[in-house]
Amino acid sequence: MIRVCLLTLLFCVVIPAQEVAKATYVGMETCQTCHEDIAKAFAKSPHKGAGKACESCHGPGSNHAGSAAAADILNPAKLAPAETDRICLTCHLNQPTHVGRISSSHMKNQVACTACHAIHANGPLGLVARKPAAVNELCAGCHPAVWAQFQKPYTHRLAQNAMSCVDCHNPHGSFRPGMMQFTSANEPGCFKCHAEVRGPFTFEHAPVRFEGCGTCHEAHGSANPRMLTRQDVRQVCLDCHANLPVQGRGINASAKVLGVVPPAFHDLRSPRFRNCSVCHQKIHGSYADRNLLR
Amino acid sequence: MKMLAALLCIAPLFAQGSAATPVPDAEQWLTGSVDLGYRWRKGVGGSFETYRSIVNLGSGPKLLGTDFTIIDPKKRLFDRLDIRAEDWGDDPYSTLHVNAAKAKLYDFRADYRNIAYFNNLPSYADPLLSRGITLNEQSFDTHRRFTSIQLDLLPGHWFVPYLAFERDSETGTGVNAYVTGDNEYPVPTTVRNSADTYRGGMRLELRGFHATVEQGGTVFKDDQNVYAANGINYGNNTEPLLGQTLDLTRLSQAYGIRGAGLFTKGLLTASPTSWLDLYGQILYSRANNNVHYQEYADGNLADLSQLLFYTSQQYLLSAEAKLPHTSGSVGAEIRPVRGVRILQSWLTDRLSSNTSGTVLGDSLTTHYNLEQVDVLWDLTQKITLRGGYRAVWGDAANVILPIAELTGFERGTLRQNTGIAAVNYRPMRKLSFNGELESSRSSGTYFRTSLYNYQKLRVRASYKVGPSLQFAVDGGLLTNQNPTPGNRYDYFGHHESLSLTWSPTAVKGWSFLGNYTRSSIRSDIGYLIPQTLTPELDRYRDNNHTVTFLLDGNVTALGKVTKLSAGGSFFLSSGSRPTSYYQPFFKLAVPVNSQLAWVSEWRYYGFGESFSVFENFRTHLITTGVRFTR
Repeated sequence: MIRVCLLTLLFCVVIPAQEVAKATYVGMETCQTCHEDIAKAFAKSPHKGAGKACESCHGPGSNHAGSAAAADILNPAKLAPAETDRICLTCHLNQPTHVGRISSSHMKNQVACTACHAIHANGPLGLVARKPAAVNELCAGCHPAVWAQFQKPYTHRLAQNAMSCVDCHNPHGSFRPGMMQFTSANEPGCFKCHAEVRGPFTFEHAPVRFEGCGTCHEAHGSANPRMLTRQDVRQVCLDCHANLPVQGRGINASAKVLGVVPPAFHDLRSPRFRNCSVCHQKIHGSYADRNLLR
Repeated sequence: MKMLAALLCIAPLFAQGSAATPVPDAEQWLTGSVDLGYRWRKGVGGSFETYRSIVNLGSGPKLLGTDFTIIDPKKRLFDRLDIRAEDWGDDPYSTLHVNAAKAKLYDFRADYRNIAYFNNLPSYADPLLSRGITLNEQSFDTHRRFTSIQLDLLPGHWFVPYLAFERDSETGTGVNAYVTGDNEYPVPTTVRNSADTYRGGMRLELRGFHATVEQGGTVFKDDQNVYAANGINYGNNTEPLLGQTLDLTRLSQAYGIRGAGLFTKGLLTASPTSWLDLYGQILYSRANNNVHYQEYADGNLADLSQLLFYTSQQYLLSAEAKLPHTSGSVGAEIRPVRGVRILQSWLTDRLSSNTSGTVLGDSLTTHYNLEQVDVLWDLTQKITLRGGYRAVWGDAANVILPIAELTGFERGTLRQNTGIAAVNYRPMRKLSFNGELESSRSSGTYFRTSLYNYQKLRVRASYKVGPSLQFAVDGGLLTNQNPTPGNRYDYFGHHESLSLTWSPTAVKGWSFLGNYTRSSIRSDIGYLIPQTLTPELDRYRDNNHTVTFLLDGNVTALGKVTKLSAGGSFFLSSGSRPTSYYQPFFKLAVPVNSQLAWVSEWRYYGFGESFSVFENFRTHLITTGVRFTR
């Protein structure tokens, strides 16, 4: 009877122990035996150059090597996005590109690293599209409505592959909304290519500093000339410049919003006054004139 | 017979032996392709100026593109050098990119772009359009050149120093209006400005900690000139003023802007424990510009404020403008229990522009603050829920001294509270759904057109029917109301997009990618007619339909596999500015031998506007050339 109990106990201990035998690392050569194509591609990957191997992301593979069962290996592509990200961020969390990651809408909307980065496929230039056409195609896959805006007549040169989405946006996140890129530490990324409007000006136009170019321009494209938000320049201006001057103007006066109505000589019936930027040509800010005329 | 049996027995051994010691594929030191060709542009029907403003492609020999890689097997100066260039040969956008790297030693990237900016749209700034005269008093023909160079040293090590240089410059000519008295005179201008940015820093990359410190500087100059030669320019106002005809006979305006700036960047990330990630950054920039503006004008000029006519005026101005700008942000991701993540972030942005000099200029200040907390909960392996709250607040002031007319002191306040709810559902690998809703309430915004009380909905789904067919849907909705008296801003915008990707397995080598997007904007905002201060309503309507598609395929003819591509984009809108813009194309590549192919392309550009028909254009472009591949 004692023997039977001991054998039963041994059976209970040994069999489960065999079932949950802890997997061990077997090395990339073992993986290569079955996954030759992936191994060849991986050999050109920056991960390989950094000393990583299959099991760096997939975990120890001895069980999988023995059984060839998919259930015996960790597959990041099948995990929830947050779990996939944790694997990548094991090494990549503390990198400058991820400083804004916590506020990135990609991260918050469960877009995993592997949605853009093909870990097995890419070559030495990286794990993600680098050429403008490939970058734009990748982004347009999830943002088709934005890509449709670039088919409008007045737009940045993305469809011609002279620019890409990442020229203006940082897909890893940014400290300001819209995941916008920046130049000169914290100036809007638009100034990177539009130096003439970067200022500082003797006389600033407040919207440029406070809400950025998007106040008046549709950066992704528009049917209105110069990518404006309205069909006529005067409407772009008058929609803001429509506040009555406040009483007791001066430094003690206050208003809730910026932009007072233009003086009365602006007769909109005359074609001369229908396009504000004919006269107010330094609309982004002027070095010489408070009314942005020169 | 025994010999044959022995041979049969040892043959597999030879075979095994050869399989066990494979000869590695010799990698070529140079690989890539070069596309050279010639483009013909058929005569542009309609407005050539508008064609140049939108398309601007011309005829002539072109380097259509090149992309090649050099691998040094001995890894002397570099392991790998990648060069690619596109659209050279007087095309409106030429690019060059160079990347060289040597493992663990350096990573070098250089990028150059030359983008032409031609803008001459008769409907844009034409005060004489009602008289049938089509011109643009705000037209430009310039080139913008952008250079970016970055060198990372010791990549892959824990300590990575780097250096970078960027240059952005613009040169060209244009038309400006010189405004004085009661008239505006269109005059030619030359544009020349540039900004050079130098920066250097270092990254410390440790397992649980990262820091980046960067210091940089900018040098800016703007030497725009506006001039008018001898000759009488009657300007836009041809009506006599108090019996006198105004004119301009000579003008010289010179902007001598010289600027310099410094900026500093400090970034920090850390993972002190397994359940906590921290980040923070401090960004500071201070740009300065020195202004030396000179203006001389002759003619019959007027000063309406003093009812004075005079024949010459001179205007000199020296000033200094400063813009210190400080930004800081901190954030944390906290994982208190499995499946729950709390994201907390805080941002402040403080900017102050001040002017001093021979005129009292203006002062612009803003303090912008943002605080957001999001809680993400992985309800199951397939469902993630998110709830969040964002508070934005700030103050802005714009002071122009001395106070005159309606300009003076303005102040704006920003107070906005936003609730966020989102769901991500992944029932299977082939199907995913993401929805996000934001609802915001404000008690103050900087501008009348800013989002006030708004609701934003975003929905995205994709479904992979099989290995060859995938659908994706993307939709968005934005509504905004600003009930403030005198403003009454009411905005309603939405878009829906359906995409289809099909690579039929039955027809090898063929694929189809198509997208249809519809978007619509309805915007009503009140404003005041400046002359009478009577309230009016600006009604802006825009309904767009956009179709893009790309069909790729291989056809075998005469024993050659010819690659075909057809597609393009078709944009059609109605509303406040009804517009159509069609860009279909057809390409084919016929291989001549393993390294040479004949490539040809046809493109059509057709642009039409219902209200400004004088801007319509259409043209065909045919490009043919060869592609060398190695």
